Amino acid sequence: MASDTIIQVRNLWYRYRDDIVALKGVDLDIGAGDFVAVIGQNGSGKTTLVKHFNGLLQPASGQVLVGGHDTRKVGVGALARTIGFVFQNPDHQIFCATTREEVAFGPRNLGLAGEELDGRVEEALHRFGLVELADSPPAVLGFGMRRKISVASVYAMRPRVFVLDEPTTGLDWRNSMSLMDTVRSMHEDGHTIILVTHDMKLVCEFAQRSLVLRDGGILAYDDTREIFKRSEILKETGIEPPQIAELSKRMMSYGMPDDVLTVDEFRAAYVGIGRSLR
Amino acid sequence: MPEIVIRDLHYSYPPVVPDGDPVSVLRGIDLEVDKGELVSLMGPTGVGKTTLCLALNGIVPRSMGGIFRGDVLVSGLNTREHPVPTLASKAGVVFQDPESQFFNMTVEDEVAFGPESLGIPAADIAERIRWALSVVHMSEYRNRSPFQLSGGQKQRVAIASILAMKPGIMVLDEPTSGLDPMGKSEVFGVVHELKQRDDITVLLVEQEAERIAEFSDRVIVMDDGRIAMTGTPSEIFSQIERMHGIGLAVPQVSELGRDLSDETRTFNFTRFDEAYASLSSAATLEPSGKGADG
Amino acid sequence: MSLTFDLYVARRSWAHRVDPRVKLLFVVLGAVTMILFSNLLFMVAALAAVHLLTASAGTPRDRFSWVWRAMLPVNVLIPLLWTVFYPEGEVLFRVWVLRFTPLALARGLAVAARLDTIALICFFWLFTTDQMSIVRSLVKVGMPFEWGLVLAISLRYLPTIYGLYNVVADAQRARALDVSRGNIVTRLKSYLPILVAMLISALRTADQLGKALESRALGLEGVERTSLHEISFSKVDYLIAAWLVIAFAGAVVLRALGLFTHPWYPLA
Repeated sequence: MASDTIIQVRNLWYRYRDDIVALKGVDLDIGAGDFVAVIGQNGSGKTTLVKHFNGLLQPASGQVLVGGHDTRKVGVGALARTIGFVFQNPDHQIFCATTREEVAFGPRNLGLAGEELDGRVEEALHRFGLVELADSPPAVLGFGMRRKISVASVYAMRPRVFVLDEPTTGLDWRNSMSLMDTVRSMHEDGHTIILVTHDMKLVCEFAQRSLVLRDGGILAYDDTREIFKRSEILKETGIEPPQIAELSKRMMSYGMPDDVLTVDEFRAAYVGIGRSLR
Repeated sequence: MPEIVIRDLHYSYPPVVPDGDPVSVLRGIDLEVDKGELVSLMGPTGVGKTTLCLALNGIVPRSMGGIFRGDVLVSGLNTREHPVPTLASKAGVVFQDPESQFFNMTVEDEVAFGPESLGIPAADIAERIRWALSVVHMSEYRNRSPFQLSGGQKQRVAIASILAMKPGIMVLDEPTSGLDPMGKSEVFGVVHELKQRDDITVLLVEQEAERIAEFSDRVIVMDDGRIAMTGTPSEIFSQIERMHGIGLAVPQVSELGRDLSDETRTFNFTRFDEAYASLSSAATLEPSGKGADG
Repeated sequence: MSLTFDLYVARRSWAHRVDPRVKLLFVVLGAVTMILFSNLLFMVAALAAVHLLTASAGTPRDRFSWVWRAMLPVNVLIPLLWTVFYPEGEVLFRVWVLRFTPLALARGLAVAARLDTIALICFFWLFTTDQMSIVRSLVKVGMPFEWGLVLAISLRYLPTIYGLYNVVADAQRARALDVSRGNIVTRLKSYLPILVAMLISALRTADQLGKALESRALGLEGVERTSLHEISFSKVDYLIAAWLVIAFAGAVVLRALGLFTHPWYPLA
């Protein structure tokens, strides 16, 4: 597993204008190629933290290094080459008359043109299943489509790191899964994924590591499996593990392990108990 | 007579572009919901769940135009024959985004707005506000600005402001969609409260299968503009392939039940306690001769 | 994050208890009174008086400095322009073609002070009356309820629009949008992605809000809208209103007599 650090956060403090301290001395290393879920209640500092990665926010004190560059010295535009940020509401980005133009916007801003730009756009449209909608106006398409388009338009910028802020909010199961499958394949291609989400099922299914925030500080940062083993952490932040994890924990006295994350794992473990009792 | 009666409802939105075609959304909906029932409505994004909700208070078709066929009756009133404000007091609709439902500077004013529109005397309004805020557990926030509230708190205020009109029917259109887990719990808690009241009929549009399984009397699944499935949570969530085919989730325990089932035993779980009880019982842990090897 | 753009200062002062319609009367009569006169001393006295009035309502210092900062362009430009373009009376000295006359300066200052006073009178109203009361009072005076609602909603959504601008600007900057490059035309064009996305979002929100309003039975015909907080005149309100009218009548008389019309000499 690639372990060169792509994002380094050192003693990061951030305060909003009305003196609300959003981040209190956060220290963090995210390795290139990692898939990290960022979880915590609203107000814990999740969005504030990730906005420092592409320079939208600057530290009040402390330092954020992205690909070795200090975010205070490099502009948002330059950081956009490395960090692709997908905002929670696709309607905050969509403004073009056609899907193709929308997807081309980002790469064009990065200086691509001509054939190279067209190639990037086509590739993104294909990857997200948007080819048929390429000439439709995004604003009148359904929400699920607009979500895909916004992700595709960031993908077309080919950043090394994707930050996705609650990408599955408002999506039905199929659209959620399809989006996350694409994200997983992006991860397999070598991109680093930072997923801010409230959906614990997704976290357990897709994220290798999880970063738990509370009140502007890191409560835990570990393999997802380890995090979900520790019920006290989850309780402290009001996070509810997925139903299946809960069930497994409840059945620990019967021999079920304490780190079941998915239905498949539960089944395998349960069958294992059955066999061992024979 | 059932509180909600929908007969052969067809609806198309006006065209998106001037010379385009009308957008057909509802293609023959038949539905009856009895007084006091809590019915959950599931369906893929864009299938027409919101449209159906809006058909209950007449916004569809009166404010939206389009082509409307069939009948919708709420508390006995046919939506064709009454204006939206009248229907709004019978079928109260709470929308997904709390931000765009508020237009007052205090919670109190917000909850008062509906009754004020209905011409309720001031003294009665005060009592309704007190009651509605207590149902949603937001009484201490009476004089606060809605801006300062969390997502879950905002949605609860939105629910209270509809409750204050004392509608017989509460329609909640994906109320927990943008909320964090705490907010979701708060709102589902309020839904539980509403369920306890026999005089309130609830139609809840949601995606969270686990929650729906816990408290719904009935689950309705929409697909392709029609109602594809209707039944108890158990009946619906046992049809996993069909639900996945439509594009919808089922509770994780239901999937587990299917995965553990084999030729010798079938497990049909809808709720957490069912799964726990069954799986932890001695009978289940001692498998029969044929093992279900993964 | 606090996004409320609320001029209202919540206090329990006498001014807060006065019926908003009486305060509205004060705004109207006060503004007209200020327009009637032109004397600098009168203006300054009036300005000081309104300051005292507003302070007695519990208005904090930062509100005052906000008003003064807002009025700064007026207070600098008007006396300056008046002195430059409308010299009159005794000339103190010349610079190039410009004649500096104290009288013109006095007139300019008087005009600025007049505007300051009118502004502060309006702010007095806004500082001591919350939005819903403002809307209710206007409705009671005859404005259709829907207009009042539009006013209230617009005020409520101002911070939301401001917040929306920031969010959308962030989202587009994250796609490497650069609004600082190029000449003025290029720069204006580069705001387009932000403005269009904002507009579409705002339209969606407006649509949602419309449905939410309808769902709260807005526009129910045949039924008169009630109000949780009824505003009604108390004895004190009648007294104040009467006093305002008398004071105004007195002001008209003074004006008819030609007093306080000269910028420098009050009794001319």
